[in-house]
Amino acid sequence: MKVLKIIPDRCTGCMRCDLACSYEQTGTFQPSKSVIRISSFEGHTSYAPYTCLQCDEAWCLTACPVEAIGISPVGAKVVADDICVGCKLCTIACPYGTMFYDIDTHKAVKCDLCGGKPACVEVCPTEAIVYEDAEQADWVGPFAAERTKAPAGPLAGVS
Amino acid sequence: MARHVIIGAGTAGWNAITTLRELDKGGSEIILVSEEAPYSRMVLPYYLAQSIGESHVYTASSSRLAELKVETRIGQRAEQIDSAAKKLVLEGGGEIEYDNLLIATGSSPLKAPVPGADGDNVHSFWTLSQAQTVTAGLRKEARVAVIGAGFISFTILNALVNRGAILTVVELESRILPRMVDETGATIVEKWLAERGVVVRTATKLSAIEDKNGAKLLKFENGPDLEADLVIMATGIRPNIEWTRSSGIEINSGILVDDHCRTNIPNIFAAGDIAEGPDIVTGRKAVHAIEPTAMLHGRIAAANMAGDDTAFAGSLLMNIVDVLDLEIASFGAWDDPEAEAFEAVQPDRPAFRKLLFRGGRVVGAVILGKTRDIWTTNDVGMLKGLVYTGVDLSDWKDHLRHNPFDVKRAFLAAGTAGQLLSKTVLGRPSVPAGEIAISS
Ligand SMILES: Cc1cc2nc3c(=O)[nH]c(=O)nc-3n(C[C@H](O)[C@H](O)[C@H](O)COP(=O)(O)OP(=O)(O)OC[C@H]3O[C@@H](n4cnc5c(N)ncnc54)[C@H](O)[C@@H]3O)c2cc1C
Repeated sequence: MKVLKIIPDRCTGCMRCDLACSYEQTGTFQPSKSVIRISSFEGHTSYAPYTCLQCDEAWCLTACPVEAIGISPVGAKVVADDICVGCKLCTIACPYGTMFYDIDTHKAVKCDLCGGKPACVEVCPTEAIVYEDAEQADWVGPFAAERTKAPAGPLAGVS
Repeated sequence: MARHVIIGAGTAGWNAITTLRELDKGGSEIILVSEEAPYSRMVLPYYLAQSIGESHVYTASSSRLAELKVETRIGQRAEQIDSAAKKLVLEGGGEIEYDNLLIATGSSPLKAPVPGADGDNVHSFWTLSQAQTVTAGLRKEARVAVIGAGFISFTILNALVNRGAILTVVELESRILPRMVDETGATIVEKWLAERGVVVRTATKLSAIEDKNGAKLLKFENGPDLEADLVIMATGIRPNIEWTRSSGIEINSGILVDDHCRTNIPNIFAAGDIAEGPDIVTGRKAVHAIEPTAMLHGRIAAANMAGDDTAFAGSLLMNIVDVLDLEIASFGAWDDPEAEAFEAVQPDRPAFRKLLFRGGRVVGAVILGKTRDIWTTNDVGMLKGLVYTGVDLSDWKDHLRHNPFDVKRAFLAAGTAGQLLSKTVLGRPSVPAGEIAISS
């Protein structure tokens, strides 16, 4: 399956992925509405985007009491707005923290891979996010560990 | 062909059915015995709010069950189990032989034992039929008294307020949500409610409900009387175990099950609110009586009934509730007295965090904040991930002690996502229930 592969070493923190994502998802340029979210490290000198891994045994899908979450042709777990009641059970069931809630629509929101043409990938100027066949993996973990430990001692990167 | 008999069509029973069919594609016999039709209780608050219609609460129609090759005995109650003969006895006669039996009969609401508790306009809000009565009878500006300030009352509070009710919540204990947040959290929520016109009376014991000029008059052991048009009793629940007592099944608070959802009797499984199974944080057995545990149990029991050997690491206690756009969630051992508790309150807004550490791992968490504050809903899932994996946060402990709001980088750097990839439940890709393929 094609997945969103993140190569954080290439990320410049330009926020284009957030903006493109929120625009694609909600029609507004608003990072707070994005379902790919950037974290900063080392006093805002390194960055990494983080989003849904589209895990196989999907916590959100099994948690939903009204079966509002399905699987799209490209393998994304997607929320059907007309079925979602906004109970937020998926937001606490997803242990990755990539299931969000939109207070304006009262619905759960998550990455749907933009139907197979992910906007974040299209706008990323450095190919820090690519959409390709790969096993799901913890793309950001090792980078985050590295950027918060070295070399000035533990948590040097936390500002 | 193996015959699986499932008792109860709530969350646990329905998840067991879909999981069985996911695994065997119709290659077994399933008989569903249930007093009520299949629906999800936790969707009832949205029905009360009138944001969805009645059809939305059902998990399966009779034709859907037929498609899944499920034979149904809806409206019938199980009365007794003859485990020697592997037979289920139904109320009013009738027996069903089983190869595997799943007990998923959930819980029932308790009413405060006071005179007048069974009078007119005094309802529990637990079943669809109770929800129908309350939903149809609720007038705008009705004076509603909710007895009990636990999780269930809070799930219907939004709906009551949004439908224009004038609300008073009465709680016996000294604070609201006593099983979900601590004193600090409860104080913030009480203030939030007061600012929104909801009256909260804690440490108040109801003593009687009388009739007065067509309305209800509530009397208390302490404090002034209260007049109301409608009284909702949300004063606790108890597992529906009575009917299983003669079966030889081991019972404590609920039916004791192991990490395969097996009871002590071969071929008898239990799941959901009725089951007392392993808790992932404490390792001890507990009745959680929450939707996620009912789903998990239902899926695990079904996998084992289908012949797989599937253990689970324990279920995680967790709840989230939205109180007039204030989000409250708690996870795991959020009130563990032996844990080190790191907490912080934001001075300028209703925002509270608490992380409970044992050694280097988080065993429980509380999060409270405005739904509009992005970090509230941004962080809930990660807190679940931290507690569920028990990932080593030793390097981050000092940072989190002073900054319990800043969990994301700790979550990422600890490699939580990597651990989660292998910590699955059944270890197979999810199939949406609507797409389960049945072979003819
Ligand atoms: C208003 C409300 C809001 C809630 N909100 C939440 C929430 O936000 N989050 C959360 O985690 N949980 C919530 N819950 C709790 C959640 O609904 C339960 O934990 C869940 O339904 C338990 O599932 P279950 O299958 O064990 O039992 P149930 O869903 O109660 O199903 C039990 C089934 O057994 C049947 N039955 C009972 N006795 C017999 C018998 N003798 N013979 C045959 N059939 C029998 C019943 O008719 C029913 O079909 C809420 C509950 C209510 C009422």
